[in-house]
Amino acid sequence: MAVMVSELLDRARLLVVTGKGGTGKTTVAGAIAMAAAGRGRRTLVVEVEGRQGLAGLFGLRPLDHQERRVAKGVMGLSVDPEESLREYLGRYGAAPLARLLSWARLTRFVTAAAPGLGDILLVGKVWEVVTRRRPGGAATDPFYDLVVLDAPPTGRIVPFLRAPETVAELARVGPIRNQAERVRKLLDDPGLTRMVLVCLPEELPVTETLESASLLRAARLPLGPVVVNRVTTDRLGSRATKLARLARDPEPLAEAARQAGAGLDAAALAVLLGEARDQQRRVAAERRLLRELRAGLPEGPVIELPLLLDGVTGPDAVAELAERLAPGDPAPRPADRMRA
Amino acid sequence: MSPSAARRPAPGTRGGRATSRGRPRRTAADGGSRMDEVVRSARIVLCCGSGGVGKTSTAAALALHAAELGRRTCVLTIDPARRLAQALGLDLLSNEPRPVARDLRGSGSLDAMMLDMRRTFDELIERYARDAEQVDRILANRFYQRVSSTLAGTQEYMAMEKLYELHESRRWELLVVDTPPTRSALDFLDAPENLNDLLDARVFRLLIAPAQRIGRGYLRGLGLATTAMSRMVRRITGSELLAEVGEFFAAFEGMYDGFRSRAQRVYDLLKDPGTQFVVVATPDEPALREAAFFAGRLADDRMPLGALVVNRVHRAGPVPAVPAEAMARLAGGSGTARLLADLLDQHLALAALAAAEQRRVAALLDSVPSLAAVQVPLLADDVHDLPGLRRLGAHLFA
Repeated sequence: MAVMVSELLDRARLLVVTGKGGTGKTTVAGAIAMAAAGRGRRTLVVEVEGRQGLAGLFGLRPLDHQERRVAKGVMGLSVDPEESLREYLGRYGAAPLARLLSWARLTRFVTAAAPGLGDILLVGKVWEVVTRRRPGGAATDPFYDLVVLDAPPTGRIVPFLRAPETVAELARVGPIRNQAERVRKLLDDPGLTRMVLVCLPEELPVTETLESASLLRAARLPLGPVVVNRVTTDRLGSRATKLARLARDPEPLAEAARQAGAGLDAAALAVLLGEARDQQRRVAAERRLLRELRAGLPEGPVIELPLLLDGVTGPDAVAELAERLAPGDPAPRPADRMRA
Repeated sequence: MSPSAARRPAPGTRGGRATSRGRPRRTAADGGSRMDEVVRSARIVLCCGSGGVGKTSTAAALALHAAELGRRTCVLTIDPARRLAQALGLDLLSNEPRPVARDLRGSGSLDAMMLDMRRTFDELIERYARDAEQVDRILANRFYQRVSSTLAGTQEYMAMEKLYELHESRRWELLVVDTPPTRSALDFLDAPENLNDLLDARVFRLLIAPAQRIGRGYLRGLGLATTAMSRMVRRITGSELLAEVGEFFAAFEGMYDGFRSRAQRVYDLLKDPGTQFVVVATPDEPALREAAFFAGRLADDRMPLGALVVNRVHRAGPVPAVPAEAMARLAGGSGTARLLADLLDQHLALAALAAAEQRRVAALLDSVPSLAAVQVPLLADDVHDLPGLRRLGAHLFA
């Protein structure tokens, strides 16, 4: 069952963005949030590892536990375990406990001593923002239409999302159990939640993405699209034969350069042809990997984002990627065709 | 950076290499020779950096190079994705080093292993437990069974534990370690302290403490609150969890000292001049930011920082600028002329990307002046076998 990106952007309540380290999870999470906001949804993008990747991405001062505007129509939040613990314990009337110890010490201890409890707090906060309602609003009127989670990397994603359940297995009754049940309902519902896997067009990331997809399937977490980041833009593909011929005999190229007055000698032409050859080898390797990826991912579209010059650093670059994710034309189209 | 690294000249190394921009960089030039020195003289090399920067391949290439220089070498990965196995062409790695036999050149040897965290933790408990009964009690505890693989910092700590064990065995002249991504790789510096926090968690004992403990000095004055806290924790977690946790801590009684002194020895080993950290990055903003963070942290802890490796650097060859009018004529010309225009466009894009990367790398090096760097160009093929690792090595030691 293929999902369309525009449909997810319009309907999902929670998109969990994960991927192998270094694939650009934060960039893609930011771009998804901007694309959804561009389609009129009240969007919150959340990070949970305290890396301040979102602040870096949008060129802002560090985010904190207070939700703050990061781009047009997009709010941002960096979940702080200490604040989450405060909220969590506050809910169970435990504030007096914190007067005995400092919150910082209590948090350090709790997160060091109780496996997954730190993750429970983070996942719990994500659940809270997804299910939050507008003050005085109806049950169907959520505070945020869409929450985009810049989640931990694929190696940690299943234990992270399933932390509430893992501990709930040990706790048969009580608030942890109930909370875990509510979180599970949100995460397991493909109508509400989708996992977005971020990948690079390289061997090891592709292998790991396919492995991660299997893990997520086994954990019954609903798969969404795979976003392949930094795909080489192919300007020369259709002229491969001609290039091969010119590589053997560059004279026609030299003649064209002379006629145009381009001032390129044989050495410069050799550099250009060498770069083209490298590029074509890369493109061919990437195409092969993308085919492998698509073959292993029957559920979801595989979306390609181009390698942007200078790397993505500012809101403009994120906006450019957002535009590639969901092109401005309102007519729905198969996400698979959104090529860079 | 270690004082010895700054003092020692690089012996017997080949000349440095200028970048493709034609401007010789001191960093690119001395990085390769520094790398050579590291694998010739160090006893332990730790490769650190954020995820996806090529740490595993770099660690494997360093280890292979050392082995082919004649050293008895072992490479240890603690990354759960089994990437080293792929990079080494091995199908499965185990918790004990195994020889990587295929086509090794020279008189050295290369072994590889992947950390089995759970087994390492089990072995550690077997080492420090009073008796078999205590071992059984801990290994059977449900809390332990979950903790031993998921607890924050456990992976890093167990990796360091395994490293220490391999080091003590003296079977190898060089151990190369591929660590988990930066932030958690930093955890191993804190791991001894964190583990002590956990095992000696006064707060935790306070929470679960049976009443008889309240007489202890550090609990005096908090005693009144204890039962209230225990009640609260029970209310939140449900009592069975608490019982398991209580049993776990009770079972650990008497083992804290062994763990603590072991942790201290591991920490000391990391600071030994025979240990070298190699920070790995790519020329992306986030990876370089992490590399800077890591280099700073190593300096703070006085850990010996060997070198920086920047992988997947784009390079553009020398092509003179083409006047705008000539470009316009090419773009409007014959098929071959238009192809040339596209080749030039592509070259300009590549050159802009390469220049942006060099600006970012230079900014990092400015912030860590003593750091020697080696840049590895983006290779056309992924590295997944020994010849690939040798090609990578050729760039690392150039």
